[in-house]
Amino acid sequence: MKGNSSSAKQLTDRDQYKAPSKPSIKKVPPKRKKRRKSQAFQEAVTGYFFLAPALILLGVFLLYPMGAAFYYSFTDFYILKPDDISFIGVENFSYIWQDAQFRQAFWNTVYFSVIVVPVQLAVALGLALLINKKLKFRVLFRTAFFSPVVMSLVVVSILWTFMYNPNEGLINQLLGIIGISPQPFLTSPDQAMNSIIVMSVWQGAGFQMMIFLAGLQNIPNHLYEAADIDGASNWQKFLHVTLPGLKNIALFIFITISIAAFKLLVQPMIMTQGGPLGSTNSLVYHIYETGFNYRDVGYASAMAVVFTLIVLTITIIQRMLIREERG
Amino acid sequence: MKRLSYLLAGILVTLMLAACSSDSNANSEAESESSGENTTSDTVETGSVDTSVEATGDEEVMLDFWIHQTGEDETNAYIELIDAFNKEHEDIHVNAEVIIDDGASAYSDSINAALVAGNLPDVMAVDGPYVSSFADAGVIQPIDDYVDEETKSQYVDSIIQQGTYNDKLYSLGAMEASVMLYYNKDLLDEAGIEPADSIEEAWTWDELMENSKKLTKEDRYGLNLFMNYGVGEWLTFMGAPLAWSNGGALISEDGTKVDGYLNSPETIEALNYVKELFAEGVVTDSPGEMQFEEGNAALALGGPWIAVSAEDAGLNWGMMPYPYKDEKVSPSGSMAYAVTNNTENPEAAVELMKWMTNEESTIKISKATGMPPAQKSAFENMEKFNELPWSVMKEQVLETAHARPATPAYPVLTDAFAQSFHAAALGEDVESVVEQQVQRVERELKRFEE
Repeated sequence: MKGNSSSAKQLTDRDQYKAPSKPSIKKVPPKRKKRRKSQAFQEAVTGYFFLAPALILLGVFLLYPMGAAFYYSFTDFYILKPDDISFIGVENFSYIWQDAQFRQAFWNTVYFSVIVVPVQLAVALGLALLINKKLKFRVLFRTAFFSPVVMSLVVVSILWTFMYNPNEGLINQLLGIIGISPQPFLTSPDQAMNSIIVMSVWQGAGFQMMIFLAGLQNIPNHLYEAADIDGASNWQKFLHVTLPGLKNIALFIFITISIAAFKLLVQPMIMTQGGPLGSTNSLVYHIYETGFNYRDVGYASAMAVVFTLIVLTITIIQRMLIREERG
Repeated sequence: MKRLSYLLAGILVTLMLAACSSDSNANSEAESESSGENTTSDTVETGSVDTSVEATGDEEVMLDFWIHQTGEDETNAYIELIDAFNKEHEDIHVNAEVIIDDGASAYSDSINAALVAGNLPDVMAVDGPYVSSFADAGVIQPIDDYVDEETKSQYVDSIIQQGTYNDKLYSLGAMEASVMLYYNKDLLDEAGIEPADSIEEAWTWDELMENSKKLTKEDRYGLNLFMNYGVGEWLTFMGAPLAWSNGGALISEDGTKVDGYLNSPETIEALNYVKELFAEGVVTDSPGEMQFEEGNAALALGGPWIAVSAEDAGLNWGMMPYPYKDEKVSPSGSMAYAVTNNTENPEAAVELMKWMTNEESTIKISKATGMPPAQKSAFENMEKFNELPWSVMKEQVLETAHARPATPAYPVLTDAFAQSFHAAALGEDVESVVEQQVQRVERELKRFEE
């Protein structure tokens, strides 16, 4: 989500950069050139003036910190000793490959993403198709499916922690009614990540559902009518009209979910603290813990840099795939 | 400017990681005060506190003071104490700031941020076992020059032990903490098990195991270890005495080596005892919040706050001392106060610390929180500690309390122990898990070698 909105921002920024210089010099009669020039300069100043708030915020809260993280990743910055920072070369980076926790967190994150992305995409599409039908209570359904999105992820995580509780949790009590023994949803290393995945899909799918819904409503009705005339079945209509119509939206959702999935943090932080036995530790949570709890900002920065590279690589690969599909 | 850049760098990691709050986990300290339900209506928000005594402008010394907030009763007690201090001292004025302590990292995040920005207050509350890491980094300063031996001797030994690093005193605390073996009187009577009323009679590991088994029924556990607090400080606080009692350790006496200590046969044996408790099914790794209070566990190794919640729940409960193997030890340590290196008036700062931790204050705070006081004389003057069940807590604080290790690597060490404890609870192979954790702590310790 975040990656996408910032890239959108860059686009508009670039447009605005051009804007002030647009009044072209061609039309200007040679005699008045000088005056025009100063006017153009003034316009440019005005332009930058309008840009300033955004640029300053971007610089202070995005560009500068990114640069600083890059710098600190080569140092032994320890939070308690901010005045005693020394350059240690690539030591932090070489430790990443020995850090068993990092490896575990990496594979956990990959596992989470690989499952969540397709499942959430499918669930969102399914829900969108469902509420696009003229069902009774459709507004009710739409609200119900969308409401988890409105709730803060922190709140949702706490609620699900209660629901997953083996002894008193709602889910286990329901399972008890149909004779299934209480499941250690969050306390078993084998189940914890899957439990988080289920909750995450439930929480996130509503948002993508709305986007799919908008996409569905954009598909011109005459295409379906034409398909009807050709005698297409519902399944054929879905396959040959609906899906192609949603392609661009699906790709957009695919990229945003992937990036969001890689940033998994809140759920393990609140529901399991990365446990049991590190089975739900995510990359971002590991970075957070290292930097803030263990105060090792240098190493945390190094991991953050590597993390950024990983996400960047994935995004680039995805973009390349998209471009091919368009061509 | 340089300071500013560090602060911004701090913001960076947060930003890159999509910041988020961590108000999830009730940890040991957090739990302690939230259990005191009968709170007054005026909620104390995080931020500077409106004390009723205003600064007149004539004071020579202004002190900034950060206190943690875990419960309203406790915070109100602090504010009253600070008010009284301001009234009493014409030349000193204290500006208190209350910072939320959720038992996770909220309070330490605030300290970290102020530290890199160079904005630390004159006096701040720090959690006992973290004193050494702050001391090692020069964030807080020794106070031996302002605290004489007689004053020192008034505190319970464990408070001085937790405040001392490299033979210098850094912190003074107002309250202690402990872990007792709580029991459900009705269930013990039913099973015909005699509780232990004093340290003299404390149960051994074998007795605990045997009785827990007897007390475990189909719909009820024999023992509760409050694993619902999560894998954090609680497991070290509650669990480390098992290792100590067996002659094991978490780290060497001087706090510089874990290899041969955390993985010593004695510590491993203690963790295997934990593993056995879970394997026997007498304790669960995911108890409900109120498992003991609701009678779904007959015994519980819990903090002082369990006494409050058990009483509130109307349970017929009692306290036994912490079970032992060879040596009788019990958990100890709580929030304490320390003077930062940012102060220009260490003497006035220590004056404030002494005020906050004197006999009268410790009694007041103990009454507000249910935690044992840090002054020996306070025990004599609080009648409840002279009879059962509270006498057990008093005995432990005065006789068997064992502070957590003093090492600058404590944040990593405590996580290493907690992870090992948790792995044991889940039935993992203790030795290999501990070995992995030892390597992790050894790497961290290298940072402090000089």
